[in-house]
Amino acid sequence: MSKPLLEIRDLNVSFGTKDKPLCVVNDVSFSINPGEAIGVVGESGSGKSMTALSILQLVPTPPARVTGQVYFDGKDLLQLSNSELTSIRGKEIGFIFQEPMSSLNPVMTIGDQIDEAIMLHTDLSADARRVKVLELLRLVGMPDPETRIDVYPDQFSGGMRQRVVIAIAMACNPKLLIADEPTTALDVTIQAQVLDMMLDIRKQYNSAIMLITHDLGVVAEFCERVIVMYAGHILEDADINSLFASPKHPYTQGLLKSVLTLTEKQHRLYQIQGSVPPPGTIKEGCPFRPRCPVRMDRCAVEMPPMKSYGPTHVAACWATAEGVE
Amino acid sequence: MSVLIEAKNLGKTFVDNSIRLGPKRAEVRAVDNVSFQIMKGETLAVVGESGCGKSTLGRLLLRLIEATEGHVSMDGKDLTNLSRQEMRQMRKNMQMVFQDPFGSLSPRRTVAQIISEPMDSFGMIRDKSHRRERVAELLELVGLPAIYMDRKPRQFSGGQRQRIGIARAISVHPSFIVADEPVSALDVSIQAQIINLMQDLQESEGFSILFISHDLAVVRHVADRVAVMYLGRIVEIGPKDQIYAAPHHPYTEALLSAAPHPDPTKEIERIVLQGDVPSPTDIPSGCAFRMRCPIAKDICSSDNPKSVEIMPGHQVACHFAAPHPITNAQRPT
Ligand SMILES: Nc1ncnc2c1ncn2[C@@H]1O[C@H](COP(=O)(O)OP(=O)(O)OP(=O)(O)O)[C@@H](O)[C@H]1O
Ligand SMILES: Nc1ncnc2c1ncn2[C@@H]1O[C@H](COP(=O)(O)OP(=O)(O)OP(=O)(O)O)[C@@H](O)[C@H]1O
Ligand code: SF4
Ligand SMILES: [Mg+2]
Ligand SMILES: [Mg+2]
Repeated sequence: MSKPLLEIRDLNVSFGTKDKPLCVVNDVSFSINPGEAIGVVGESGSGKSMTALSILQLVPTPPARVTGQVYFDGKDLLQLSNSELTSIRGKEIGFIFQEPMSSLNPVMTIGDQIDEAIMLHTDLSADARRVKVLELLRLVGMPDPETRIDVYPDQFSGGMRQRVVIAIAMACNPKLLIADEPTTALDVTIQAQVLDMMLDIRKQYNSAIMLITHDLGVVAEFCERVIVMYAGHILEDADINSLFASPKHPYTQGLLKSVLTLTEKQHRLYQIQGSVPPPGTIKEGCPFRPRCPVRMDRCAVEMPPMKSYGPTHVAACWATAEGVE
Repeated sequence: MSVLIEAKNLGKTFVDNSIRLGPKRAEVRAVDNVSFQIMKGETLAVVGESGCGKSTLGRLLLRLIEATEGHVSMDGKDLTNLSRQEMRQMRKNMQMVFQDPFGSLSPRRTVAQIISEPMDSFGMIRDKSHRRERVAELLELVGLPAIYMDRKPRQFSGGQRQRIGIARAISVHPSFIVADEPVSALDVSIQAQIINLMQDLQESEGFSILFISHDLAVVRHVADRVAVMYLGRIVEIGPKDQIYAAPHHPYTEALLSAAPHPDPTKEIERIVLQGDVPSPTDIPSGCAFRMRCPIAKDICSSDNPKSVEIMPGHQVACHFAAPHPITNAQRPT
C-alpha cells in the first residue's frame, strides 16, 4: 500500500478549563491515502468539523486546546507556524467550510475571489490567471462563465455559489480537498448536480477528498471509505461495502437499521433509544453505552480499543470484540 | 372515508417589497391554483424543493395568511368566509408543528407555559393545578418526564424540543395538523423516534396530517398520499405507492432519482436535471418545469398543462404524462 497522504494521530480537541476540560474530539486517529475519497459521518456535535478544522490549525486556540499529530507530506501540520501553513492552505489542501453561503465575500466578484486564491499560490500573469479562472468555472459546471466571472455572489442561487466555493478550493489543484457538508444546504436535484460535478473533478485531478456529511446516502455514492464518529470518538472505520454489508459497531448497526430509504416498507421504524449525550458528560468508557442495546459492565469503565475485522475494517466495541451480536 | 380538508383553486401572491422591478414591486406567485382533499385520519405529504410554496400552502390551509384566491373548507365549512370569532373557534381543530418549535418563542418561557398556551387561549384550563396535570399528561404522552415542565427551552436537544412542539399541538385535540418539516433538523437516529411518535399519536387521536418535507425517504414512510410541488403548482398527486413505483411527471421522476441511496452495491442511473429552479417572481410561461425538463416540446412553453386524472386519485399536470417506472437500475430493491 502506498504511503498515506494525511495521517492523524491521537488528535484531541478540548474546550473549558484545564481542570474541567470539555473534550469534543477524543484520541482520533486515521489516515487518508492519495486519491482516496473518505466520508466522515456522525450526528450533530460529534466532532466532525472540529477534526477537519484541526488539520489546518483553524480551530481558535485559545479557547480550544489541540494536541496530537497531523502528518502531511512528512510534516506535522500542528507544529507549523502560520506562515508555513499559508503555503499549504489552499494550495496543497483545499477547504470547503460548512457554511458555504457565508464564506463568499459579497462585495467582490466571483472571478476576483477565485483569482485571489490563484494569485496567492502562483506567479502567473493576470491574463494567465483569468484563463485559469474561466477554466475553473467551466470545471465546476458554471453555465456561461465569460459573463458570470464578473458577477457578485448575491446574484447566484445556492447551488451556483457552492460551485464557486468549490472552484476556489480547487484553484491550486490540491492533493487533498476537505469538504464540510458541501451539499447539505442544497435541494436534492441541485445536490445531485454538485455531487456529479465533484465526482468529475475527482477523476480529472485525482485529489483525495475528505467529505463530511450526515447523509449515509451521499457517503454510499461518493466515498470509498467511511469513518463513523460519535461524541468525539471514532467508533468505526471501514471501506464502504464492508460497512454497509456488515457494520460492526452497535451504533452503526442501529443507524443503518433506522435509515429511511425510498424502497423499504417498514411498518414501524427501528429507533435507537435516547439521545446524544451533551459533550463532556461521558468521561469514562464507551460514549455510546447509555443507548447501546448490547452494553456490558466493562463498557462503563474502559473505552474499547480499535479492533480489526478484516483488512479494511476496524471498530471499537467490547461486545463486538467478544462476538456478541 | 370522508373528506376533512378541501382546497379549491387556492392561490397566493406575495408582494415582495425588497425586490423592485422598475416602478413595479415584484410579485411572488407562491401558490398557484392548487386543489386537493385530505381525508379524515389521512396523511398527505407535500414534497418539493426549497421555495416551491410548501409552507405557504400549509399556512393557507390554516388561514394563518389570507389566500389571494380560492377556498379552503374543513368538514364542509368554508373557512375563507368565516368571521374572526368563528375562525377562532375553528382554530382549536387545527394545529401546526414547526421545524423548530422554539425558534419563534421567548427563551424565558417554561415548557409548561409553551405547551399550555393553546389550551389557555381556548379556555380549556381551569386553574394552576389543572394546568400542571394536563402538561404532565402530555409530556408523558410524547415520551418526556413530567419534571421537565419547569425547564426553559435551551436546555433541550432538538429531538426533545420537537416532542414538546408535538405535545403543544395535540393538547387541544385537533382534527388536523400541519407539520412543516418536523424532522428535517434532527439527526437520523432521532428522526426515527419522532416519526414513530407522530404515527402512534395519529393512530390513537385520529387526526389528519399535512406533512411538509423535502425528504422523499421520510415521506415514503409517513404518507398515505403524496403531492409533488414545483414553483407553486401541484404537478403530481396520488397514492404513495403509485407515485414511488411509477411517477408520471418527469419532475417527480427526477426528484426520486436524485435522492442519494444508502446502498453502495447498487449503481444508480441518475437523471441529473440541468439548471436552477427559476425565480417565483418570474415563472416561465406554459409548464413551469419546462426549462429543466428533459422531454419538453414546443407545446410546453405555450400551454400550461392541466391536471389530468390518469388513474383513480392520481393526477398529473404534464402534456406528456406517462408512467416512468423506476427501473431496477435506478431504484434497487
Ligand atoms: N467554542 C466552543 N466552545 C465550546 N464547545 C464548542 C465550541 N465550538 C464547538 N464546540 C462543541 O464541539 C462539539 C463538536 O462540534 P463540531 O462542530 O465538530 O460538530 P459536528 O460533528 O461538525 O456537528 P454538525 O454536524 O452539527 O456540524 C460540539 O458539541 C460543539 O458544541
Ligand atoms: N411573507 C412573504 N413575503 C414575500 N414572499 C414570500 C413570503 N413568504 C414566502 N414568500 C415566497 O414565496 C415562495 C414560497 O415560499 P415557501 O416558504 O412557501 O416555500 P417552501 O416550499 O416552504 O420552501 P422551503 O423548503 O425553503 O421551506 C418563496 O419564493 C418565498 O420567498
Ligand atoms: S409539460 Fe412538458 S415541460 Fe412540463 S413536465 Fe411535461 S414534458 Fe416537461
Ligand atoms: Mg460540522
Ligand atoms: Mg418551508
